[in-house]
Amino acid sequence: MSSSASAPPRWAIAVGEALIDRRVREPVLGDLIEAFHAERLPGLGASGARRWFWLQVLIAVVRFPVRPSFSLPEGAFMTGFLDDLTGAMRTMRRAPTFTLLCAVTLGLGIGAATAIFSVADPVIIRPLPYESPDRVYVVWQNDPDAGRDNLGFLTFADLTAGSTSFQSTAAVGTWGPVLTRDGRAEQLNGLRVSWTYFRTLGVRPALGGDFAHDDDAPSRNSVVILSHALWRSRFGGDSAVVGGFTTINGVQMRVAGVMPADYDDVLAPGAQIWRVLGYDGTLPYACRDCQHLRMIARLKAGVAESSALQEANGISARLVHDYPKSYPAAGFQMVGLQDEATRTVRPALGVLLAGVALLLLIATVNVSSLQFARALQRDEEFAVRAALGAGGGRLVRLLLAEGLVLALAAGVVALGIAQLGLDVLISRLPSSIPRLAAVHLDPRAFGLAALVTIVAGTAVGLTPAWHARRRGLAFSLRGSRRVTGARHRVRGVLVVSEVAVAVVLLAGAGLLARSFLTLLAVNPGFEVARVATAQVQVSGPRYPDSTSVFAWQDRLLAAAEGVPGAQSAALVSQLPLGGNMDGYGVQALDKPLDNPELAPSADRYTVSTGFLKTMGVPLLEGRDFEAADNAVAAAPVAIVSQALARRIWGGESPIGKRVHAGETTRPWYTVVGMAGDVHHRGLDNAETMQLYAPTRRWFFQDQQVDVVVRTAGDPARILPALRRAVLEPDPQAVVTRLATMADVRAQSTAQRSLVLTLFAVFATVALLLAAAGLFGALAGVVVERRREIGLRSALGATPRDIVEMVARQGLVLTGGGVVMGLITTLAGAGIIRAMLFGVGPRDFMTIVGVAFVIGFAAVAASVVPAWRALRVDPIATLRAD
Amino acid sequence: MLGEFEQLVLMAVMQAGEGAYGIPIHAELRHRTGRDPSLASVYKTLERLEHKGFLAVRLGPPTPERGGRRKQIYTVTNAGKKELRGALAAIRRMAAGLDVGLEPS
Repeated sequence: MSSSASAPPRWAIAVGEALIDRRVREPVLGDLIEAFHAERLPGLGASGARRWFWLQVLIAVVRFPVRPSFSLPEGAFMTGFLDDLTGAMRTMRRAPTFTLLCAVTLGLGIGAATAIFSVADPVIIRPLPYESPDRVYVVWQNDPDAGRDNLGFLTFADLTAGSTSFQSTAAVGTWGPVLTRDGRAEQLNGLRVSWTYFRTLGVRPALGGDFAHDDDAPSRNSVVILSHALWRSRFGGDSAVVGGFTTINGVQMRVAGVMPADYDDVLAPGAQIWRVLGYDGTLPYACRDCQHLRMIARLKAGVAESSALQEANGISARLVHDYPKSYPAAGFQMVGLQDEATRTVRPALGVLLAGVALLLLIATVNVSSLQFARALQRDEEFAVRAALGAGGGRLVRLLLAEGLVLALAAGVVALGIAQLGLDVLISRLPSSIPRLAAVHLDPRAFGLAALVTIVAGTAVGLTPAWHARRRGLAFSLRGSRRVTGARHRVRGVLVVSEVAVAVVLLAGAGLLARSFLTLLAVNPGFEVARVATAQVQVSGPRYPDSTSVFAWQDRLLAAAEGVPGAQSAALVSQLPLGGNMDGYGVQALDKPLDNPELAPSADRYTVSTGFLKTMGVPLLEGRDFEAADNAVAAAPVAIVSQALARRIWGGESPIGKRVHAGETTRPWYTVVGMAGDVHHRGLDNAETMQLYAPTRRWFFQDQQVDVVVRTAGDPARILPALRRAVLEPDPQAVVTRLATMADVRAQSTAQRSLVLTLFAVFATVALLLAAAGLFGALAGVVVERRREIGLRSALGATPRDIVEMVARQGLVLTGGGVVMGLITTLAGAGIIRAMLFGVGPRDFMTIVGVAFVIGFAAVAASVVPAWRALRVDPIATLRAD
Repeated sequence: MLGEFEQLVLMAVMQAGEGAYGIPIHAELRHRTGRDPSLASVYKTLERLEHKGFLAVRLGPPTPERGGRRKQIYTVTNAGKKELRGALAAIRRMAAGLDVGLEPS
């Protein structure tokens, strides 16, 4: 600095240029420079003259402060917080790119976090809106494979009577009735429940009354309660409906009440109607091993879950002793209602919450580093403000004002993104998710996310100002470049954490993508392409017996076969991957079991002839059904799947063996063929076992069937014609699903596909932000070390050396981030495990892929800074300064 | 009406003569009054006098010793001279016959 000691302080001139008003800036600074040389330097000496110069500049700044373009009254320069805000807006308008970058980054993070949290909060976080919801449990019966099963009615009755721990209990069965009103039939989503159901949950109807004890009997069970939505949409919100009768399944049923608008049944999300169960022990389907009921129980206040379970297991031991052939295993399981209701979505939402938290983190880090870089540029400004008497609180206030303005800008972006994201999420999430109706844009989530990011951003932006004040005016003004060491450390930490977060998100997205691809590659056991399906249901007094149902089914099949473009058609009782779970225990005549409850459970596929061909399920052995098999008087024949045959007979051929399904009193079927295994429950579930029987030879008739049609061309094109055709036999029938088989398969993987899509978006954004962070850091390094680079070039460093120098910096930062990110990924493997399929949470290929992608991004981010380094002119840099 | 510092600055501009700008004006004030006001305070007053119409302002050429910056050159207007005359006459009348240790001018 000795060479410049006889010159007026450069920084003071810069400050004067920046902050003295235009009208006197030039003459005042000119006078000061002239006076510095002519009068002050000889009189005061170098340091005295410099001090004098500084003082004069600062006084000039105070007396002639630079005036904003929209003029404030003089003397009101930055005195109130309102002025701070105006000033902040001015600062930001001066740097529109910077402001836009910050606002969009923050808005993206806050918006996405708000959307995901808004879904997760009512669904898996907030307690259910019932009275003391923590005392309500779902009770399951153990099955022999450590799994769990529904209960038969008698088991429910015995447990309710024997236990002293429960305040009340209720049995719950599924119900999908058809409501006919104003000449329009509609299938409803409903439940059959004990009269104690709503009391056990801790909710009450809003209109009318609850079920009464007297309703819950076989002869009096035509009593229903409506959901508020159904009451509004189909009954016009007419309160006279309550106490009156309405036609359901062709029968008159009394409407006892209407549930509150905000009531959502977590056991049947979106349920529209509840009918009293009305069982007693005399009914054939109310037996001990007719396990089609779920049970809920409310614990008495003060009773622990463990003691209730202990008591229940005591009762179970007694029941197993008394009825050894009715229970496959002893004991019960109790699961909290909320845990039970959210069991299937919790892994997905958990993973998404973790992902969006990371996104928010990277957005915060990114904005923080932007703020940090900018704060460094403004070092002198802070120093001058401090010199002019701005205290620490004053600087904090100024930066807070800027943070607030930024928050407002980011908030607008975030609200848009959150609302958009929420709309997409709600429309794409499976409707089986409980409490979806309660999802709305959560202002608390929004506020919290915004607060966290803004505070973090401001705090980081504040550090340089704080240092500037602590170091003191002179030091800071003399040359803030001295603090580059600390600056590098801070920026390095920020870039490394950005890269680390990007690695974690990329690894998550990679694992989910690999899982999804593996899943799509799974052979479902049937042909997905070129099959169209329609699910149709009939009901009412026009179908009093099997003859009428069979006649309808025959006409339905003929209508489907007549659809233009159809090659073949068939009927089936349930579609693979369609979400139905209709299974029966299968026993073989030559392999008798002591306990029939231990018989393997097979999906019941009651089919018309030609189903296997139409669906493309391979016939491995024996023959397919023939027309003669599907006659009421025909000898009962069946086809078994390969897995079922293996399970019962091991390596023996199943052809000619005799089996029956369900009750021991049912007829014996002769096995005539063996089919390939089908994925019935989902591509991510192992193949299940199937039992095929002709529609006319099953012991009851299905009034809801799936029509499957094999087409020559695109199956989606025949869907409109198929809908018209399936309604021909009975115009009052209800079409409950119309889709191609590819749609059905896509629906079965919809949740995975949604999580994957969101994660891919998160990871892409994170990658871009990390690359931008790396680019910023390297560009900064090149600028700061320009002199060094120039010197090295002058001393003979080759372009290769210079590029290497930049690349090394990039490599160190990237490498640190990758190592940290991989450690985090490996440590957090448990969170994502439940969402994976066919790939481990520490999959080597994915890690290699992530490293490759990050490496590529790092190279891309280094190219421009390296090029800039090469263009540094050694002469120019050495001459400057 | 001129304030006391305004009178001093106005007279300093006249004392500095042809081509008066910040430094000579400031120097006159310093040498003749013994005060060392900040340059900015002088400019503040010069600006006020200009607004009142007592000073005329023009820009001079840039010079290297000023870092290439131009001077702001001041001339007292006739209105300024008249105002100054009035103010000094009032002072002289007020001071007439008072013994405050100054020689009569």
